[in-house]
Amino acid sequence: MQKKSEGIKPAITRRQFLSDIAVLGAGAATGAGFTLPAWAQTKSTKTGTVRVWGEPGPYGGVAVDAMNEWAKQFAPDLTFKLETLSWDGVYVKLMTDLAAKNPAHCISVESPIAYQLMAEQLLEPLDDVVQKVGKNRLVDGVKWEYWGAWQGKQYVLPAHHQPHLLVVRMDVVKELGLGDPDKWDWNDLRNAAKTISEKKKDMAGISLALGRNLCTDYHFAALLHSAGGSMFDPANKFQVVFDSPETVEALEYVKSLQPYMPKGAVSYSFLEVVDSIVTGRAAISFYWGRPYGRAAEENKPVFANLESFNHARHPKTGRRSNWNDFQGWCIPRSNNAYIEEVKAALAYYQTSPEWLVRYCHSLMPNVSPVYKDVLNDPRMQTHPFFQTKKDTIMNYYVNSLPHSSSTGNELLKGISPLAGIVHGRSILAQTVQKVVVDGWKSADAAKWGAKELEQIRKDNLRLLGGVV
Amino acid sequence: MFDSTDWKVADRRIGILFIIPFALAALVFMVYPVAEAVRLAFYEHNPLRPEASHFVGLENFRTIYDDPLFWKSFQQATIWTACSIVLQTVIGVALALLLHLPLRGISLFRGLLLFPYIVPTVVIALVLQWMLNAEIGVVNWSLKSAGLIDENIYWLATPNMAMISTIMLNVWKYTPFVTICVLARLQTIPLELYDAAKVDGAGTLRRFIDITLPQLAEVLTVVVIFRTIWTFNKFEEIYLLTKGGPGTSTFNLAIYSFEQSVASLKMGVGAATGVVMMFLLFTGSLIYMRVFKFAEEETA
Repeated sequence: MQKKSEGIKPAITRRQFLSDIAVLGAGAATGAGFTLPAWAQTKSTKTGTVRVWGEPGPYGGVAVDAMNEWAKQFAPDLTFKLETLSWDGVYVKLMTDLAAKNPAHCISVESPIAYQLMAEQLLEPLDDVVQKVGKNRLVDGVKWEYWGAWQGKQYVLPAHHQPHLLVVRMDVVKELGLGDPDKWDWNDLRNAAKTISEKKKDMAGISLALGRNLCTDYHFAALLHSAGGSMFDPANKFQVVFDSPETVEALEYVKSLQPYMPKGAVSYSFLEVVDSIVTGRAAISFYWGRPYGRAAEENKPVFANLESFNHARHPKTGRRSNWNDFQGWCIPRSNNAYIEEVKAALAYYQTSPEWLVRYCHSLMPNVSPVYKDVLNDPRMQTHPFFQTKKDTIMNYYVNSLPHSSSTGNELLKGISPLAGIVHGRSILAQTVQKVVVDGWKSADAAKWGAKELEQIRKDNLRLLGGVV
Repeated sequence: MFDSTDWKVADRRIGILFIIPFALAALVFMVYPVAEAVRLAFYEHNPLRPEASHFVGLENFRTIYDDPLFWKSFQQATIWTACSIVLQTVIGVALALLLHLPLRGISLFRGLLLFPYIVPTVVIALVLQWMLNAEIGVVNWSLKSAGLIDENIYWLATPNMAMISTIMLNVWKYTPFVTICVLARLQTIPLELYDAAKVDGAGTLRRFIDITLPQLAEVLTVVVIFRTIWTFNKFEEIYLLTKGGPGTSTFNLAIYSFEQSVASLKMGVGAATGVVMMFLLFTGSLIYMRVFKFAEEETA
């Protein structure tokens, strides 16, 4: 395996590439060949620090660099500063800071939480920024509302889309003759996990998060949606539909996979799942593109053999639903002295293909481009991962989109502002844990989850506004 | 010249002057938060919509009364507190007896004993998370290397072991407090009592039961009351180590209150939980002091 990876040696390394592109990008984006439209040239005399929240990862830093470049030219006394929030802490931090009326001036957040914030009327509408960015630029298969639109107004500007897919160690799959992961259904996936667990010493067949956290919510949601289930029905006043045979089936499926997971999976969250893949302790997982960057630096043999596919089909529905974050930028409206400056800086960086390519390149293939011109930009393919992982990258970037889903827009049937609260209370993860930790029957756990969701719906009818 | 009455008045004024800063701090940081928590317990209050806050009477208390998770959290808090206190007291007294021995270099050990107590909880909890990691943690690696276990122990990933791990953390961190208090008291017990008992033929165990324990009773009463209050209210150790999981197997009332307040944005329900905790601890402390006749002895 070691020899194989040595043979693949790319022309330049990822780290070298990132370092090179940082230098190039700084030069390219300082103005050379990039003419700003009149609206972006409005000067601001405001002073101070504009706080920007982002999730862990270098891409938030790239975006803030772009915003600072705008500030350098048009608001010289302003500095944009990134504050990184851990994934599992994002809801608590967001809610406590909003409650204390001290949120950041600009927030990058996943769509379910953004939907809640916009329905709470805590966000500034961004329709004017959308016009400046270009309404017709989105890649095929997505709509503006996926990032955050409510009652006719756009509140969230796309940062990236980010699906979790089936991450597979192909060397192990080939060695054990487990077939093509792209053709697997749920039964094939379980059989593959079982075979790997039985035949490979010190390797779990599959690694999923089963802890009481956001990652478990996201893993389970994909299975629930593949089975055809949902939490709420947007077509019927957001009635709770969680107590269903589909939920029970998804829970039973997780339970049936558990023997082939690391035993510690019941406390796993994002980091532990990545660790298990990158260190070679698990052969299959549901994950976003993040393990590739780490594996490229820490465990080259694993990197060389890692590929991602759309999820295994549900045997009856045929669905291959993933979880897509549809991460976007939004602007809290209360106590925010920099609304116009943030809008201008966002528009500046969103209209600069150089910065947007750098944004995607900063953690390949974790953050997918959302604009056609960026996806098709020749510079995009200069990243070294394109030499060996093109199929995987395109699966994340493009082929995943027909299977997009999330709790905030279940099976793309309608925006639900309740999903953020569901995640804040880890209702899906708790439901899963009732089965895998407490030994409840799946049907009872589904009933428990439905009762909790009903309570959330009842407590937050106001968020549903004109819908209910 | 001042007469004695002037001195008394001046003394009193200076005394009041010295008390004012503490009284102000207590008002701002203790009395006001408690009063506000009690007030909130009777309101429905969503911090994102403070303008919609309204009085709901006992509704928040009814909510927690009807919530099985509240009762589960209460039961687990009781187990966690009882186990922690018993172990801290037994180990703390034993360590104090050891450190009371007139050995060379014993003061070094007395100093080292304070280490767990002075290290910030957040540091300990995060380090312990890695140490107790079932797959790559140093604890399992050491136990395996020593041939004590064959299979990894899932310290934080199974409900019973997670509870044991959080208790272990609490015992490790706060046993030194018990030891220091007991050691201080041990050093004031008159040696004549032991000499007289020896003359009467009392052995080591008899001297411990008849002299040492009764002499320690008062300090142990105080220590147990304080440790019980602090342990029952503990939030950060459990939250940092297990976040109340796996499942809700290490939830206590403090974590339940936090979840209600922050995750569910039901500040009233969280505050009502706090009020119930305050009532429980106050009542428990009164009963405990009455049982051990602590208050009467103090008065006498």
